Formats: sequence, C-alpha cells, structure tokens
Amino acid sequence: MKVAEKDRVVSGLLEEEYRRCQDVLVSLSDKAAHYPKGSLHVRKKPYKGKEYAYHCLVARDQGRVVNRHIREAEIHELRQQLEQREKYRKEIQAYKKRIAYLEKLLQTPGQRRKPGG
Amino acid sequence: MNVLRNIHFPPPIDGLLRSLSEVGFFDRSLLIGSWVMPLYQELYGAPYVLRTLDVDFAVHLAHPHARMRADLERIITDLGFVDYVAVEGVRKFTAGGYEVEFIAHRPGGKEIGAIAIREWNINALPLPFIGILIDFSETAVLDTYTIRIPIPEAFFLHKLIVAPRRLTIPKREKDLDQCATLAPVLDDKRLQRVTRSRRFGKETRRHIAESCAKIEFPIQRLSFD
Repeated sequence: MKVAEKDRVVSGLLEEEYRRCQDVLVSLSDKAAHYPKGSLHVRKKPYKGKEYAYHCLVARDQGRVVNRHIREAEIHELRQQLEQREKYRKEIQAYKKRIAYLEKLLQTPGQRRKPGG
Repeated sequence: MNVLRNIHFPPPIDGLLRSLSEVGFFDRSLLIGSWVMPLYQELYGAPYVLRTLDVDFAVHLAHPHARMRADLERIITDLGFVDYVAVEGVRKFTAGGYEVEFIAHRPGGKEIGAIAIREWNINALPLPFIGILIDFSETAVLDTYTIRIPIPEAFFLHKLIVAPRRLTIPKREKDLDQCATLAPVLDDKRLQRVTRSRRFGKETRRHIAESCAKIEFPIQRLSFD
C-alpha cells in the first residue's frame, strides 16, 4: 500500500488548531456559565373567575425541573441573556464538533486500528 | 492601488473586514496573520493555501486618551460573534469557529498584560516587533471596501524574527513556511528599507540569521549595517 508522507506543516497546523479549539472551548464554557439557563414560559392561573398570566423560567437543576417566577421588569433583560447563552451554546457545539473531527484526524495509524483487527 | 477582485473570504471574515473598513479601522491598523497570505498570492503571485482559523489584527495605538472612534466590541458582536476572555486576559471574539484577536506593538522586552484601546473599545495583546508591520503597510481594495495589510517584506522580516521565539514547533514551521513562500517575490530595496528602520539587538539578529539559514535565504539580502 502506498502511504503518503506526513506533511509536518499541515499536521502541525492541525495540532495547533486542536489545542486552540480546546482553549476556546474552556473560555466559552466559562463565559456561558455566567448566563442563566432554561427557557422563558408564560403560565396562566385562574383565580376568582379571572385568568392571570405570569412569566417563569423553566430550567433543569440537578435532574429536577425548576420553575422560577420572573418579574415583569426583569423579562427584557432575561430574554437578552437567554439569547446570549444560546449564541454561546451554538458556538460551543461548533467547537466540540471540530475537536471530535480533529481527534479523528490526529489519531496515529496504530491508534486507529481496532485491537485484533 | 491594488484592486483584488478574485479574493473571496468566508462570509464571517468578509463581513468583519467590511465592517472594520467602514468605521475607518484600516486607516492605520491592519490585517495580519495567515489571512494576509491569499492577498499576497493575488498581489504578488506567492502561492500559499494554508490558513488558520484565527484572524489577527495589528492595532495602531493612538494617544491613550483618544476619544472612541467606533465601538468594535458592539460591531463585532452584532455581526454574530461572541466574545470571551482568553488565558492572557485578552478579549477575543469567535463565530463559526473563526477567532478574532487584536494585537498591539509592545515596546521594550518586559511582558505586560492586555492593553485597553479606548479608540476602538477593545483590548489587545501586546507583542514585540508588531511595529514593523504597522510602519510598513499598504492598502488593498477588495471589491467594495479597502483594508490595510503589511507589505510582504515587513511580514517576511517579522516572521524571521518571531519564528525562533515561538514556543511550539508547528507555529515555528508555519512561520518559516510562509517566509519560504514569500522569499521569491520580495523586493530587495523595500526589504532593506524595512531592515534598516530598526536597530536589532544581538539576540534578534541571531534569530534572523537562524531563520534565514533554515529557509536557505541569503542573509546578505537583508543588508544589515
């Protein structure tokens, strides 16, 4: 089988990119952790013949679903924060995908072979 | 003026360069790093296909109390980038895997932290020898907007200096690979003008000589005093 010679510059670039992605992932995760998680819902409650609506933030906390009441004045800011978190989440996903791809690329031929295969 | 019609940057980079150009960022600051290589390919015929996903800009430092010209942090995040603080304390931006970083010239050898740049509401990583790139630049017109890049001779000399200082071998090899690509298209007079603009210390000269030897570039062409 003909084996292509390893290009040091190209493989070096891939290694650098792998390290960079890992660093960025850590930084992005740190930053995303500062934003509230969950989604904003409107809950309706009937009371004395009337129906009252209020906003609540639904999020998972250690496996439990937690509903937190949100004051009207806080909604705008919270919405923006949730949008920000979503942006970070998407970017984090992109980096995780790239890291997984680079890990496959950077595997040595010996590592790639299945034991006994 | 160099008009480049065949340069097609990926949409996030194109949008970023266009926005920076519109607010006058490229009046004195410039695009540096591997994204300059496709421009050199178009302008000077130096073929180079590899590029990294980090987009670096060298920022010209105005007076520390200069008024804000544009809020780049807002402009860049409005383009869909998210910001984060990297290990060195520098605020960087990322979108679609691309990473945007600002770098400023660091005079002297002492390491200092990130520099806040009021003029653009960003902070920048101070690195030595960036002044070489800022002092020797040219403009390139891309379709409908203009950007500033270092002249290849300044880019070349800068890479010769920084390559041996790199902490990782892949980065060093990439720097020298770019130098080797640029070597055939360099103008000796411009190269010497760049070289003579600075007084380099013993260690820097040793680094330059070391890099020249590695890419088999005749050091005489640099014409040191």
